[in-house]
Amino acid sequence: MVLEALEREGVELIFGYPGGANLPIYQRLPGHPKLKHILVRHEQGAAHMADGYARAGGKPGVVFATSGPGALNLVTGLCTAYMDSVPMIAITGQVNSTQVGRDAFQESDVIGATSSVTKHSYLVTRIDQLPRVIHEAFHIATTGRPGPVLIDICKDVQMAEAENVPPERLEIPGYKPNGHVDLERAQAAAIALGTAERPVVLAGHGVLLSHAEEALREFAERAAAPVGTTLLGIGAFPVKHPLSLHMTGFMGTGWNLKAVQNADVLMMVGMRVDDRVTARLADFAPKVKTFIHIDIDGSEMGKNVRPQIEVVADAKQALKAMLPHLPELDKGRGTWLAQIDAWREEHPLRYAHSNGHLQPQDVLIDMYKRCRNEAIVVADVGQNQIWAALWWNYDRPGLFLNSGGSGTMGFALPAAIGAKFARPELPVWCVAGEGGFVMTAQELSVAVEHQLDVKIVLLNNFSLGMVRQFQDDFYGGVRSQVDLTHMPDFVKLSEAYGLPAVRVEKFADIAPAMDAAERTKGPFLIDFRIDPEAKVYPIVPLGKSLNEFWEAPEDA
Amino acid sequence: MPDNIRVLSVLVEDGPNTLSKVSGVIRRRGFHVRSISVGPSQEPGRSRLTLQVDHGHAEADQVRKQLERLVEVVEVEDLTGHDVHSRELIVAKVATSEVAGLVQRGARVLDTGPEGTTVEFAGEGKDVGDFVDELIRHGIVDVARSGPVVMRRTA
Repeated sequence: MVLEALEREGVELIFGYPGGANLPIYQRLPGHPKLKHILVRHEQGAAHMADGYARAGGKPGVVFATSGPGALNLVTGLCTAYMDSVPMIAITGQVNSTQVGRDAFQESDVIGATSSVTKHSYLVTRIDQLPRVIHEAFHIATTGRPGPVLIDICKDVQMAEAENVPPERLEIPGYKPNGHVDLERAQAAAIALGTAERPVVLAGHGVLLSHAEEALREFAERAAAPVGTTLLGIGAFPVKHPLSLHMTGFMGTGWNLKAVQNADVLMMVGMRVDDRVTARLADFAPKVKTFIHIDIDGSEMGKNVRPQIEVVADAKQALKAMLPHLPELDKGRGTWLAQIDAWREEHPLRYAHSNGHLQPQDVLIDMYKRCRNEAIVVADVGQNQIWAALWWNYDRPGLFLNSGGSGTMGFALPAAIGAKFARPELPVWCVAGEGGFVMTAQELSVAVEHQLDVKIVLLNNFSLGMVRQFQDDFYGGVRSQVDLTHMPDFVKLSEAYGLPAVRVEKFADIAPAMDAAERTKGPFLIDFRIDPEAKVYPIVPLGKSLNEFWEAPEDA
Repeated sequence: MPDNIRVLSVLVEDGPNTLSKVSGVIRRRGFHVRSISVGPSQEPGRSRLTLQVDHGHAEADQVRKQLERLVEVVEVEDLTGHDVHSRELIVAKVATSEVAGLVQRGARVLDTGPEGTTVEFAGEGKDVGDFVDELIRHGIVDVARSGPVVMRRTA
């Protein structure tokens, strides 16, 4: 009955792992050839694959896991999806309903363990609940602010036979996803931004989730307002656009931070305004007279920054409602945009080109030349993530996927696999450090088994690079437990898994290795031995305000 | 009442997870429950919670907003600062049969025996507090006290 319900919801692909408490579902799986199942090598991998599948393709990712350890292995993946508002359905097996609470074999309180990292969850103890629960779960996961929903199904329910009656209609009295725009507020927001002398717009993941990029671009151009994005909002506004401020936050571009810190009106669209965006909260955007916050989740209003104008609505609807109310622009606007252009000149992104080591930026720039805007880049967490965010020029939505909120190491490889399943027509590149890569490297088997065209760019600096950088600069220079000299030979590891791989140690070898990766059908890994001292710039020292960003050394 | 306490009336769907979801969201957002009363509402399958919650460092309206995000929560009314009826119930055992002073305050005697007397009293939080002071003078053996239940005044 579970599988029929999934087919009814339009599911085509499931990432999962069988075990004692979900065997009845797996017994019936071969009878449903329309449901393709990907056997993962660890449940965390399934959750990240479903996550990447959802982020790249827009459809909710579906995960199966058994009870106890199987379900608990999903927790990190659920949290990753929850923090970044990614729609996902996790179906976990639970012990028989008569065994619940008796510490049965592989029993665990999965609802209890996952409540804080799911949008909603259900424990199903009776077969008659099942059609309604599955239908509701998909609705909740995909509407409003999306998120993961977990359905824990007792084994006896999985085995029960009942007439499969599709639920007629949804009735969830406690679930009221926002969407309608308060027109008066939209008008007030448009007037405040239009009449501002120094406006700035920041765009987050909500803009991508609501497909509001076009509306944002039109609004920004009409309002002549510069637009920056959060890490997760990358793609919401073209980086090469004259009004682009590129990425904001404590590793954002210098000209973005200057603009934010000098703005008089700041409009934040589809974002949570978290500590990585604000740095020291008390000093965030100190000259702003009017904060405008647009988000579909009302609880984001004033959670971190108290807006003067709140618009609790879908980003696209809000921007469209605002557009006709834009007044004649402030006359000082030209001066402001000229000032931003000057800051862009003064604070360019830069890096050390020629210190004898291979630089990660050189690798990414070569990648960009090949792919332009025709590839999906999935980054892991750490330095590799920020380099990939800053050194590519993402002009379209959905091209850059990463674990922004949860910062989950090990995300990239399985998420890239999921993204490739969702968008087989697009090249998929996985950018990871060696530290995060080995956390989920077992999923290479999945890439090989399905001969997925996933190109793995390993930025290998023999250490936990971001932690090392923090230790060097913010923790008294004490390098503690960051050395990763003892790692597998990644070329041999790839061979063992059954995929081709090469090692690159110097600049001249980047292009031939990339050529080989592009020529090769199926997965390919390049172990780039990069500068072990390479750092991420700009960066705002921990606990400091956005004004105090550090840039790459001048001679770089 | 201290400034950082919110009084909320919350209508929820009955279910095995409802109470843990409500308390979970309060805990992980850094709030703190000062009192909680739960009972069935007039609608079948739904209960009404009356909560007194300390919102800690968060903005005051975060308590209501975070509770509203829960699918189990049908409706949240923030009654802080509103004109309300607020009632707490106390049941106490005192070691004496001389309870005229308590009865005078409005207590009802539930039983009396050789080990003492059991009384009940309902009233506003402050009145219940005064009643407890009076009980102490009578020698409390045991006491059980509800959190407040609160309703907006009709006029």
